[in-house]
Amino acid sequence: MQKSSVSLRSLGFSKLLGGLILAGFVSAVHAQAPAPAPAPAAPAGLPPTWAQGRTADGMNPTLVPNPSPLVAKPVSELFVNKLKAPPGFKVELWASGMANARSMTESPSGTLFVGTRFPGNVYAVVNKGDTREVKTILKGLHRPNGVAFANGSLYVAELSRILRYDNIEKNLDNPPAPVVIFDALPKDEPHGWKYMKLSPDGKYLYFQIGTPANIIVPPATHAAIVRLNLQTNILDYVAYGVRNSVGMDFQPGTNELWFTNMGRDWAGEDLPNDTLNKLARTKMNFGYPFCHQGDWLDPELGKGRSCDEFDKPELKLGAHVAPLGMRFYTGKMFPAEYKGNIFIAEYGSWNRTKKVGYQVVRVVLDAKNKPVKLEPFITGWLQGEEYWGRPADVQVLKDGSMLISDGEAGAIYRVSYAK
Amino acid sequence: MSLSNKIKAIITVAFFNVCGLMSWQAFAASAVPDAAAGKIKAKTCFSCHGENGMGIAPSVPNIAAQPPLALFYQLVQFREDMRKGGDMEKFAKPFSDNDIRDIAAYFSALPAPPAIPGDAAKISIGKQIAQQQYCNSCHAPQFQGQKQVSRLAGQSKDYFITQLRNIRSGARVDMDGTMGSAARGVSDEQMDALAEYAASLP
Repeated sequence: MQKSSVSLRSLGFSKLLGGLILAGFVSAVHAQAPAPAPAPAAPAGLPPTWAQGRTADGMNPTLVPNPSPLVAKPVSELFVNKLKAPPGFKVELWASGMANARSMTESPSGTLFVGTRFPGNVYAVVNKGDTREVKTILKGLHRPNGVAFANGSLYVAELSRILRYDNIEKNLDNPPAPVVIFDALPKDEPHGWKYMKLSPDGKYLYFQIGTPANIIVPPATHAAIVRLNLQTNILDYVAYGVRNSVGMDFQPGTNELWFTNMGRDWAGEDLPNDTLNKLARTKMNFGYPFCHQGDWLDPELGKGRSCDEFDKPELKLGAHVAPLGMRFYTGKMFPAEYKGNIFIAEYGSWNRTKKVGYQVVRVVLDAKNKPVKLEPFITGWLQGEEYWGRPADVQVLKDGSMLISDGEAGAIYRVSYAK
Repeated sequence: MSLSNKIKAIITVAFFNVCGLMSWQAFAASAVPDAAAGKIKAKTCFSCHGENGMGIAPSVPNIAAQPPLALFYQLVQFREDMRKGGDMEKFAKPFSDNDIRDIAAYFSALPAPPAIPGDAAKISIGKQIAQQQYCNSCHAPQFQGQKQVSRLAGQSKDYFITQLRNIRSGARVDMDGTMGSAARGVSDEQMDALAEYAASLP
């Protein structure tokens, strides 16, 4: 039985369209069975694709993904005074009423565009002197999590399409119909939403194609970071073995892409770590699904493999912290020691009995460009085991202050520094 | 509550406020949903879902004892046209977030739907499939639901099958794709058996 389940499995995994076929294959077998016959018992250790990585005995039914926020919290439920920052820093509410505000990008003239994963909205925050106006500029999109701005156009990454809205800032109240610049992306819902970043030369949009389940041998098209050439419309792969990267930024100076990566679930409270990674050259392979965090073989899929086959992360961030957006600090407002630091928004855990994350962390690099320090920067969204907000992205504004989007509360906070 | 108790309570709250020791629960208490208010707001729901939260026809779900967040979640999706069916998107339109929280509080506090007896052999097959498919890892051991995940115990079989098929076909989209993935490997016959099993649970 064990042997046949293994061969079944490799059959399913070898199909390009994915691990998901496996479950369909099994069910087709069931469907062909004579109607009154009882369903055969599940082969030991062979859960359906979506549940791969879970074991019947290790399953904890109280761990279920946190609810996806669909509505924004009223200002009365934004406990900004609970947010803690290092001495000299101030955190204030900057904008609210933006359900599931996540990925951010700022235009050269100062309009902030904000993508969402669940409600299908894209927002624009427009400066009006001392105050700001929040506009819901796009509605009804499918997981429009990725936003980028170039040459007067707003680019939006839906789950399987890249859209372009030309001359957007002059048409915030009546955006033009989008130009669909790319629509040949996989349509898998799990890990299908995109984080998108414009390259420093303005030629490429970088984004991820996440693995379509927790832990499977994914189709060759998935678990990768790709880039779309805006001039030729050619898509090419720049990184493999990346389970799901929902945050990336180019390092000023080196122009190297750094990115966060979410580790697999259901392997333990403290394993494997989520990671911070650097793309030193194209076609690097960061190990998923065989090796996690650079040095930990997958308990099942890692059999017969070695972590030496793969590229290593720059830094382990902790298991289940859920790192999303990250930015290099390029501003002049924060003290000198913050220059060139990486700030990472940790959305926070669900697959862990004691919650972790729910904070913005700071990573300090040394002269050799290696991470030497990881410490909390802004905390307080998690109170005991209850969270009221979840940091989703960070954005350094032109004045050197930093914005933090809160995907749970539908708000954006501003962190500033004054001596 | 007697007057003196009320005063005591006020003083206690004030004390904790002043000392900054107010518990998180008390801190977040400003948004506690009101089931009594929910019952009044839910009047339009009763003609189909019953005052007792039991659907009046097999196509109408039993919503009694659903986790409050599961009801909130679905009603918001109807309101925002993210889910459609049974004209629910029209009925949900007028409700604010707080209205929906109150309505959810009302229905979730009602007694659970009674177990629906069914074909014993089918129930047993359904139970086996449920185990193979890991349904209880999100829907909880007795299918009572948790957080945003709906209760399946005592659910109308007709409604259960329709929804599972819609999720499998993509006509109904779940938020993170997990349920879509889970349903993709389940055949019609298996869905029937799962419905029989879920309905049979108290």
